[in-house]
Amino acid sequence: MKLHLGHLYPEFLNLYGDRGNVLILCRRAQWRGIQVEVTPISLGDKLAPGAYDLLFLGGGPDQEQGIASADLFAKGPWLKEAVEEGTALLAICGGYQLLGEYYRTASGDTLPGVGLFAAYTEAGNKRLKGNIAIQVPELGSEHPIIGFENHGGRTFLKGARPLGQVIYGDGNNGADGTEGARYRNAIGTYLHGPLLSKNPHLADYLLRLALRRRYGEVELSPLDDTLEMATNAAVYKRFLPARGKW
Amino acid sequence: MFRRILAILAGRLVAFLCRCLKKGGTSLPGFLALKLDPDLMKGLIAGYRQVIIVTGTNGKTTTTNLLASILRAAGLSVVTNSEGANMPAGVATALLGQRGEVAVLEVDEGTLALVTSQVQADIVVITNLLRDQLDRYHELQQLAGAIQKALVHTPEAALVLNADDSLVTSLGDGWGIVRYFGLARTPWSQESTREVLEGHICPHCHQPLEFNFYHYSHLGDYFCPRCSYRRPRAEYEGRGLQLKPGGTHFNLVYPGGALVLHTPMPGIYNVYNILAAAGTALYLGVEPATIVRVVASFLPGQGRAETFYLRDRHITLMLVKNPTGLGVALRTLATGRQKTAFLLAINDLAADGRDVSWLWDADLTPLLAAPRSPIICAGLRAGDMAICLKYQGIKEADLEVIPDPAASIDRLLAEPVQEALILCTYTNLAVYRRLLLQRGARSEVTSGTSLPGVS
Repeated sequence: MKLHLGHLYPEFLNLYGDRGNVLILCRRAQWRGIQVEVTPISLGDKLAPGAYDLLFLGGGPDQEQGIASADLFAKGPWLKEAVEEGTALLAICGGYQLLGEYYRTASGDTLPGVGLFAAYTEAGNKRLKGNIAIQVPELGSEHPIIGFENHGGRTFLKGARPLGQVIYGDGNNGADGTEGARYRNAIGTYLHGPLLSKNPHLADYLLRLALRRRYGEVELSPLDDTLEMATNAAVYKRFLPARGKW
Repeated sequence: MFRRILAILAGRLVAFLCRCLKKGGTSLPGFLALKLDPDLMKGLIAGYRQVIIVTGTNGKTTTTNLLASILRAAGLSVVTNSEGANMPAGVATALLGQRGEVAVLEVDEGTLALVTSQVQADIVVITNLLRDQLDRYHELQQLAGAIQKALVHTPEAALVLNADDSLVTSLGDGWGIVRYFGLARTPWSQESTREVLEGHICPHCHQPLEFNFYHYSHLGDYFCPRCSYRRPRAEYEGRGLQLKPGGTHFNLVYPGGALVLHTPMPGIYNVYNILAAAGTALYLGVEPATIVRVVASFLPGQGRAETFYLRDRHITLMLVKNPTGLGVALRTLATGRQKTAFLLAINDLAADGRDVSWLWDADLTPLLAAPRSPIICAGLRAGDMAICLKYQGIKEADLEVIPDPAASIDRLLAEPVQEALILCTYTNLAVYRRLLLQRGARSEVTSGTSLPGVS
């Protein structure tokens, strides 16, 4: 079994430990005897829609993100076609925003997005940052997804379903209790950095989505996640407010 | 005027009390005095012959202390915030102490404007701008922009800048007096990098820069393939670098001569600190022989690769606060050693940065190859550190998660090895230092006073 993973703009969209997710996906596949081939995809690269099982798109500093977004916009139709055909995708923070319909800046300009997620983003004043926990029912796990968010933009869903519901933290916009977006096997989220490190249940869910296109439903052999889940539980409890926000 | 006198008296009283109680006091006196007189520093700085500000991401404390030591050896009375208390309160505390002829002030890169709006500097030294705690300093480009605005307040200052850091050199564009320090290609220079990069975008064309070589992170010999932007010629350039177990040798070539330098401090990052401090001293006209002498004996301050001795053990305590710092520390301290016990203590309090995602951007590969006993992960984010190491390829059986500092250090000392290395984030530094001293360890650094030093 072989997994083809495309890492979009690794040299530009690499803010704050995002690349850890690619490492985690590779390791968790390899530990189960699944081969992984990681292909960096960058400016000007032409791509066949069927080539990848899983795509990863991180966030970047403003300037780097500007360079990548122009190219990503050109790749938009290819990316949408790939997702329509069942390719799994994980987009984080800035990458998530770029895949929405548009981004409205503080000065009122509207920057078009790829339009994969039925969602849009508006610039906000105060950055939403801190530890966050969300509930993602379809993972079928009692454990929450935990992470750290740090974003100025507020994202509003226009029909896209959220990745999960906020337990504590701000999520998409700090107002409606939603976090992230889903479309078919694509996931967008504000939980940035090495999101999958303390959420092996989400990592395996992504691997199953990715393998489905080529191999159908794949049973992943269990791994020893004692360290990951103990850390998930400890961090979750430490930042749980006395009375939950939602 | 009355307000200022009151503020100074109150600050000095608190400093005196801190001294009597033997309690830190590197920031509290200044903090209170600034509350009473927000413009306090403006008054305190008047009358100094030279005011030098040292800022940047990594290496501020070592550069500041080394420069202060050189200037003292040159016969000047120097005021400095020698213990890395680099927020405005710490700077004010230093200035509240005994006065001197020269002030060498370490200033936090994120709050530089708060100091330059009151303190006219003669020289501003910028060590480097590396990816740091994102939740405190935001993106590097934004940080560079904030520093640029802060410099406008002190337009007469000469800038001493790191030529190998394109983000830092962009601050010298169009500035009056600029001097650069840099490091020529070394046997350790790399044509490509495994590290996550920022600061590799041309400030003019906003397109990626190309590199002839990298020293570490985005420091190296860069050029823009589209416009004329490139690494400037360094007036103070390190050449012929030799890194050896007993210390580092290199030549500092400057307009008018060359110094042959030897330092007991390990690591290429300390070569940059020496280039910055020695370059500034040469610019100020200090005798070359004085610089050579001080560099040969200077040791970094508390927790900056500070060595402790406990029975037959040799324990190194090192502050790590960002991916470059952690990667370079491991490259320097974890390679070519005998079997070593490692302890990584990671906290996520405000002064550490709340977000520990940066651990995943560090190049941890030296740890994979090092002869070692189990790696102990400690601190509030012990689990995060352990997970990161697990996925980097360290066997889980070789990892121990012991969040409690005292328990973790006792576990470290129970290892039957002579070498131990403790890497910790900011809020763990004093904790581990105290725990070591309580267990009878002796530091090679003479304990500095808690008050700003004057000599």
